Amino acid sequence: MLRMTNLSKVYRTHMIETHALRGFEIQVNKGEFVTVTGPSGSGKTSFLNIAGLLEEFTGGEYILDGVNVKGMDDNARSRLRNEKLGFIFQGFNLIPDLSLFDNVDVPLRYRGFNAAERRERIEDALSKVGLASRMKHYPAELSGGQQQRVAIARALAGSPKLLLADEPTGNLDTQMARGVMELLEEINAQGTTILMVTHDPELAVRSQRNVHIIDGQVSDLVRKSATLVDTRAGHGVHAV
Amino acid sequence: MFQYYFMLGVRSLRRNPALTALMVLTLAIGVAASVSTLTILHVMSGDPIPHKSERLLVPVFDPAPLEGYVPGEEPNDKQMSYADATNLLKSKQGERRTAIFGVSAPIEPARKDIPVFPAGGLAVTRDFFAMFESPFLHGQRWSEADDEAGANVVVLSRTIAEKLYGSANPVGQRMTIFGQQFQIAGVLDQWAPMPHYYRLIGGAGKFGTEDELFIPFKSAVRNQFNPSGNMNCSGESGPGYANMLASECTWIQFWFETAKAGDRAELQSYIDSYASEQRKLGRLPRAAKNKLYDVMEWMTHNKVVGNDSRLAAWLAFGFLLLCLVNTIGLLLAKFSVRAAEVGIRRALGASQKEIFRQFLVETAVVGLAGGILGLILATGALALIAMQSKAMGNIAHMDWIMLAFTFILSVFAAVVAGLLPTWRACQVTPAMQLKSQ
Repeated sequence: MLRMTNLSKVYRTHMIETHALRGFEIQVNKGEFVTVTGPSGSGKTSFLNIAGLLEEFTGGEYILDGVNVKGMDDNARSRLRNEKLGFIFQGFNLIPDLSLFDNVDVPLRYRGFNAAERRERIEDALSKVGLASRMKHYPAELSGGQQQRVAIARALAGSPKLLLADEPTGNLDTQMARGVMELLEEINAQGTTILMVTHDPELAVRSQRNVHIIDGQVSDLVRKSATLVDTRAGHGVHAV
Repeated sequence: MFQYYFMLGVRSLRRNPALTALMVLTLAIGVAASVSTLTILHVMSGDPIPHKSERLLVPVFDPAPLEGYVPGEEPNDKQMSYADATNLLKSKQGERRTAIFGVSAPIEPARKDIPVFPAGGLAVTRDFFAMFESPFLHGQRWSEADDEAGANVVVLSRTIAEKLYGSANPVGQRMTIFGQQFQIAGVLDQWAPMPHYYRLIGGAGKFGTEDELFIPFKSAVRNQFNPSGNMNCSGESGPGYANMLASECTWIQFWFETAKAGDRAELQSYIDSYASEQRKLGRLPRAAKNKLYDVMEWMTHNKVVGNDSRLAAWLAFGFLLLCLVNTIGLLLAKFSVRAAEVGIRRALGASQKEIFRQFLVETAVVGLAGGILGLILATGALALIAMQSKAMGNIAHMDWIMLAFTFILSVFAAVVAGLLPTWRACQVTPAMQLKSQ
């Protein structure tokens, strides 16, 4: 589903160079639920942004669902992002002056679906997260947990191959966080690959495997299943 | 996607009402100032008869004495003498021709409840109505025989006909003008071309009101109607009507209509040879170039659009530019708070081009709102301008072209103002915005 090989990301100013990722190697297979952990400043967000085609990388190779994204122009990257990826953010990132229906509609508009198909997908996605009855409401009228469910519905509406979640439960209380996590597990069980950045060790344990990043490199690969271990040597990836 | 972006644009008007109102108002004021001055310029400078303006030609000779003449100088006069007018009428040159002079005569209504009142009109030939395409409500122009005989027939304006006869058709009735009985041959429908191009000199002026009656040229002369308007006498002229006719005083406007625009050269050749013959007869002593002007040339020659009107238009556009600079600042402020939305949309699959289109359509919606308000303000401004004088009242009104232009200008101005803010909105780094939420 996703493979990064010897990937590097360097932020340059006229004074300093910061290596956010170096020699970064990871492979996520179809249908996996992978969590990414690491201390602040370790490169988790840079990795997720590059994985989500929101940032370009400096060196190395990134293959997303069989497509080499290196050198793609903005149009092609945007199309790929729209077709293959779904995003869930810590801050929900709903557009406040659009109703739930219109929020979920946003990625479908860019996909070019006709009105009937968009409506069907929106209603289906909001039903899946239990908010079909509130599609005319606005984000401010919902609780944090409900807003995150709308964000999940928006991410799912376009049937993405890979769901990227950046601390999706970070702004939620324990009960709401549990609900969102259960929803993500349900989505994964239905076949969607999930890559989730989290600080919460409990959530990391619930995933199929955990990738730990330190100083811009994968330092730890926790596996839940013996069949998923990646023991390739010399790539900075170590099984524990 | 355009429809979607348009809908988003309409919604975004409500997002920050104070900022939106300020932007729309700024744009509307700039547009209203430009449109109101441009409307006046447009009415002043527009071709009043575009399909034949190249075929309607004014001949101009220089009848002034030789004293003070500098060879090569253009004729200073714009009208012609009675002698030249009657000679050119007889010439049968062109397809149609008319001599015009203003008449002002008292009308004595048959109805006792209406007192005697003065009416302003024109002495013309029957060709006049066909040349300038005057629309008839009742009856028709007088006959060729009436023209030749100088018969007492009259064509009335609709306003005068309704004043005297109500809504009845008065054709065939007789009425008293200047103490003489005239038979009504026809009644024109509302007709007041702006500018008053067929008679720019004297009378009601370039933007005057409609002419109230029309009588045959020969009839006006036979009945000794005094010309109303400008008269230029460079030589001596004795007292009395006959002396005025015999003088070199110029007081008649002359128009030819040619069958096709290409006939102009032939007509030029005719008036040159006519002037040459007259010179041999001791008239037109100056060897000045004889001129022919078509409608648009004639309007330029008579400075229908004054320099002050042009200056006002330039100033108004300068003001619009200032308004645009303000709008750019306001749009920058409006769009800067939308960075988060741009980040979200980019993450969800919008390319920079799509964001550019969305924001540009939003600015166009602001322009459209500015256009609507600008139209109201421009109408108000024109109403104020119209109150200055009767002539301004005739020209300070908006037509469909200017109405469409208002919206086009407003949307175009908004889009131009929106280019920089929109471009900056596209430069938002989505990753940074998404993390900062």
